[in-house]
Amino acid sequence: MISKTSIKAIAFKEYKHITRDPFTMIIALIMPLILVLLFGFIVDLDYKHIKIDIQDNNNSQMSRRFIDILKSCQYFKINKLNSMLEIENKINKNNTPAMLIIEKNFDKNIVRRNSGKIQLLLDGSDNAKTGILTSYFTGIASSANKIYAKQLNTQYNKELIRTRFLFNTELNSKWFVVPGLSTIVIGLIAIILTSLTIAKEWENGSMELLLSTHVKSIEIVIGKIIPYFILNMLNILMIFIISLLVFKIPFESSFFIYSIACVIYVTGALALGIFISVVTRQQQAAVQFAFAVGLLPSFLFSGFIFSIENMPSLFRYFTALFPQRWFMEISRTLFLSKTNLKVLLVPFLAIIIFAIFVIILANIKFKTDMEP
Amino acid sequence: MNNYISVNINKVAKMMLNTKALNNITTTFEEHIIHGIIGPNGAGKTTLIRIIASLLKADKGNVNYILGNKKLNNIKSYLGYFPQEPSLYPDLSCQEHLEFFKALHRISDNAFNERCEQLYKVTSMTPFKKRKINSLSGGMYKKLGLMCVLLHRPKLLLLDEPTIGVDPLSRRELWDLVYNFAKNGMTVIMSTSYMDEAEQTNKIHVLNEGNLLVSGNPLEIMERYHLNKIEDIFLKIDNPKT
Repeated sequence: MISKTSIKAIAFKEYKHITRDPFTMIIALIMPLILVLLFGFIVDLDYKHIKIDIQDNNNSQMSRRFIDILKSCQYFKINKLNSMLEIENKINKNNTPAMLIIEKNFDKNIVRRNSGKIQLLLDGSDNAKTGILTSYFTGIASSANKIYAKQLNTQYNKELIRTRFLFNTELNSKWFVVPGLSTIVIGLIAIILTSLTIAKEWENGSMELLLSTHVKSIEIVIGKIIPYFILNMLNILMIFIISLLVFKIPFESSFFIYSIACVIYVTGALALGIFISVVTRQQQAAVQFAFAVGLLPSFLFSGFIFSIENMPSLFRYFTALFPQRWFMEISRTLFLSKTNLKVLLVPFLAIIIFAIFVIILANIKFKTDMEP
Repeated sequence: MNNYISVNINKVAKMMLNTKALNNITTTFEEHIIHGIIGPNGAGKTTLIRIIASLLKADKGNVNYILGNKKLNNIKSYLGYFPQEPSLYPDLSCQEHLEFFKALHRISDNAFNERCEQLYKVTSMTPFKKRKINSLSGGMYKKLGLMCVLLHRPKLLLLDEPTIGVDPLSRRELWDLVYNFAKNGMTVIMSTSYMDEAEQTNKIHVLNEGNLLVSGNPLEIMERYHLNKIEDIFLKIDNPKT
């Protein structure tokens, strides 16, 4: 039988440790705030002022108009080339992220209601960047089409590519980054803070005293988790408010569903921290391990930076092991789209299974004796 | 039927990191007296205390706890154990420690208040109730440790070198405390490397390199082996021809 009194005693003791330790308070409350604000403003996945080389072989009013449209958006920094030789040089030296060649009869073709041809050469070595550039050009081509149609006083409905962006309609990367970043910050802080707590008891020697009483390992684990759980839920609320007020991210879904997801995700992350603490028994090793288990997969395998869809299949399956990947999906979906729980069934199941698995593991691995 | 605990150790052996920490130890810790486990560093004192506290498992042999005529399966509810290493929380006050252990041992408010008052009085710790542990002296620290483990009135008190690093005056105070509580029906087992302390116990169990050299009343042992000081036992038993 689990004793509520023992859990309460341990949780209250832990609460006192937390509130009296400025280091823990800074990590728990100030660091997530700083990280979200800092990264929210710094991490910008919108490419701007990309250098683009343009060879205008048409040099007409229409081709110049096209270049003006390019100039008017802030994505590109235009460098005009003067000869085919220069093009060859640039390509040979691999010294251009994007090159645009406007064909000789560009204006005539448009006037004749044919397609005005422009060749776009992209450096495909940066897959993500190439994708974004393509979407920029698609948009620009569409704008140009409309302008030419108006100029020719005709209905020009031929759009080369019809693109419609779902959810993040403004393609604002902050909308994408901040819900993702909160996933990483919450997970990381939860893992680091709890990874210290049991290790501290072992290093301090107080675990020996605690184990000599009839308190059970599960009571220690739950008692230790509770104050950190409350702290992390406060963090979530704080980050949520910042997302809405500072970054003006719309929250499209149910806050209730989001809260349930947060409860499960934070519980799993805290249990992982406890597991690390139980296994390492040393604060230094615990922190290093927590960073390795909490920080690296958060950035590499959560889909925060690298798209999971583009990963080799082995890594794609590997990412499924990390709750950050699933909570990232839940968080972004709930923030940016009106959805229901059915759509998020798999991610929800994944974080539930992870949380249960780690709690059981932490409890099993918890040593109730002084064996080396 | 009495209400005291005795402990029988039967052929207990334990390896710790490829070293024989205990080698076939057989002895009895009789009820209601103060036992001293004595021996130099590395003799196996802490290992034996931890095995009695169920914090280590014996590789061989067994430990039996007897309460009156009844054999106990689990000693933890009856146990008060204070380890050798510092084990209190530096950022908590004396009173907060007692309150924490009150909750762990599920002691009622009335009993807690009464016991606290008594413990503060006998330890002369009343003025330091609100003082945090990191600003207590070594002697006060040990006294508080004792208070914490005595709070639930254990029937078996295990103290692992409680007087180590404590000034002579505080050592005397600690001993007075132990005597005081032992009178009330507690079986006390304490390890020490101070040989003068061994003479203050009712029965000593002398360990050396994991072996039990002898156990019995310290004065009887001194008489039996013609010793001037109890520490000479190590010379006598290790060198039986002299």
